[in-house]
Amino acid sequence: MNIKTAFFLALTSLKRGNKGTLALTVLIMMLAYVNIVFISSIFGGIIEAINREAINNNFGNILIEPEIDERYIKDQDAIGWISTIPGIVGSSPHYIDSVTIRYDERNDFYDIKSGKWVMKSIDVESEKSVTQIHESMIEGSYLEETDRDKIMIGKDIAGGYNGALEHLSLGGVTVGDDIDVSFSNGIHRTYTVKGVFGTKNGQVDQVAFVTKREMESVLKVYDWASEIIVKIENTGEEDKYIDEIRQLGFKNESIKKWSDLMGFTASASDSFAMISILLGVIGTIIAGVTIFIIIFVSVVNKRKQIGILKAIGMRDSTIVLSFVMQALFYGVIGVLLGISFILFVLRPLFISNPLELPMGWVSLEVTFNIIRISNISLIVASLVGGFVPAFRGARESILKSILE
Amino acid sequence: MIIEVKNLKKTYEGEVLTHALKNVSFSVQKGKFVALVGRSGSGKSTLLHQLGLLDTPTAGEIIIDGVKLSSFSEDQKTEFRLRKLGYVFQSYALLPELTALESVFLPLMLLRISRDEYKERAYEMLKKVGLSSKLHHLPKELSGGEQQRVAIARALINNPMILFADEPTANLDSESSKVILTLFKKLNEEIGQTIIMVTHEPDDEKYVDQIIRLKDGVVQK
Repeated sequence: MNIKTAFFLALTSLKRGNKGTLALTVLIMMLAYVNIVFISSIFGGIIEAINREAINNNFGNILIEPEIDERYIKDQDAIGWISTIPGIVGSSPHYIDSVTIRYDERNDFYDIKSGKWVMKSIDVESEKSVTQIHESMIEGSYLEETDRDKIMIGKDIAGGYNGALEHLSLGGVTVGDDIDVSFSNGIHRTYTVKGVFGTKNGQVDQVAFVTKREMESVLKVYDWASEIIVKIENTGEEDKYIDEIRQLGFKNESIKKWSDLMGFTASASDSFAMISILLGVIGTIIAGVTIFIIIFVSVVNKRKQIGILKAIGMRDSTIVLSFVMQALFYGVIGVLLGISFILFVLRPLFISNPLELPMGWVSLEVTFNIIRISNISLIVASLVGGFVPAFRGARESILKSILE
Repeated sequence: MIIEVKNLKKTYEGEVLTHALKNVSFSVQKGKFVALVGRSGSGKSTLLHQLGLLDTPTAGEIIIDGVKLSSFSEDQKTEFRLRKLGYVFQSYALLPELTALESVFLPLMLLRISRDEYKERAYEMLKKVGLSSKLHHLPKELSGGEQQRVAIARALINNPMILFADEPTANLDSESSKVILTLFKKLNEEIGQTIIMVTHEPDDEKYVDQIIRLKDGVVQK
């Protein structure tokens, strides 16, 4: 094999061949690359949005729950120390109760709407360091530490926001309305709605919140917790912090990271990842077939030239290499233009204008891994797509190539 | 003898077997200018293709410069063509994307000769065939006669033992044909280049030293 000669032939063919064909081929390769990266990145963005919502509004990074057969975490000191661990952004203890909420819109005891929901308490300032519900108010305002007769409810409880669970809601409760709450221990309280929030997490939007002191007065407990959610600086390092939290004294409590709590959404994420891989493979095959067709047409058009090259003493391997080099050029330029288009056009566009989907604000999640796999896929597709037709063309007999 | 051919046969398979060459035997001395002549379908081009290792005979033996070629592998044949043989085809057979200079130095690149040397040698060769002013012209920028002279320069650049030419003037006007044949004659006389040329033009016979006449795949005595 003569690499120098193969390179020379590939280069002259690209330099002096049809410029329109060259431009079109490179454009097709670029689009094939963008297709592979875009699909993987948008699905990556969806998965990222689902995970982000779960961490920011539901579970935090780490969720601590009472030991089996216990209703509360009772180690007051340990609860207080969690936030002192370096790298932990904040922790927020919640009381949880299952409540029935009633809303009598006209105060006439007719057409009362009611339902069963989860009620949680929050320590207002701690909660702000852990969840972003305070940034998700769609009506009214967030609770304050001193609020006792105020309640904050999710939009799926309030109703009137055309949610999927509208038929189960209170049918349009607004800020300032009074609602009656029956706790599981039989205590009834009336609260004035202070705010309605709407996150992109369906579970959170079905929760009502009161202050910690209010809930403690109902449940007759003090400085305990039904759950503690913990936020850490760097998602992905949960295992390290779980060990440190255990050492504070949470020996038998259940301590789980957010990814273990995803349940249905985890399988949805897995499905998105699977679809992404499938579409990526299809995209790669399309790119490979495209290169194959381009090189095949080139080989057919250059059949006589291949015969001439063989006649003057060029080995088949050198001829094949020159076509593979051309295919590689198409692939590499396609990758370079594609990567530039994604990083400098598409990604900034999506960052400034993310898609609002039910699971959250979705942007392009262009990771190094996606880029690496897409680069390898397209280059391999180019090599295979270039090699096969060139190999077949070079194996033709000299006379058949020259004379027919 | 530079070429010895013994009982050469070439049969093409198909619905009906075609015996293109039937027990052809002859020899050529080094430095001769030989014409293979005969009517269309007589087997002259087939014989040239067997001699030039562009095709494989059905039976018989070809010995070039004392080397039996029948046992050669495809790679050995390729190497032999590159180092020992030169070809000129009827239809010029130039690569459309290569300039005259590039076409001529291509075989030298395959021989891994240095860039400066192959450029220098290609330039000298094009000068010899009268094309020193058209080094950087693509085939589409050259006339038929000029393209054929580029093909001759390419065929000669590796100092081949034998130059094979398959009806090199068939596509040329009489003036250009004369230039090509005169060039062949000059090469034959000045550097003793052995040339085997297929032609169907009776006028071409005056340039050659030896004529091998074929009829229906058989050499005429």
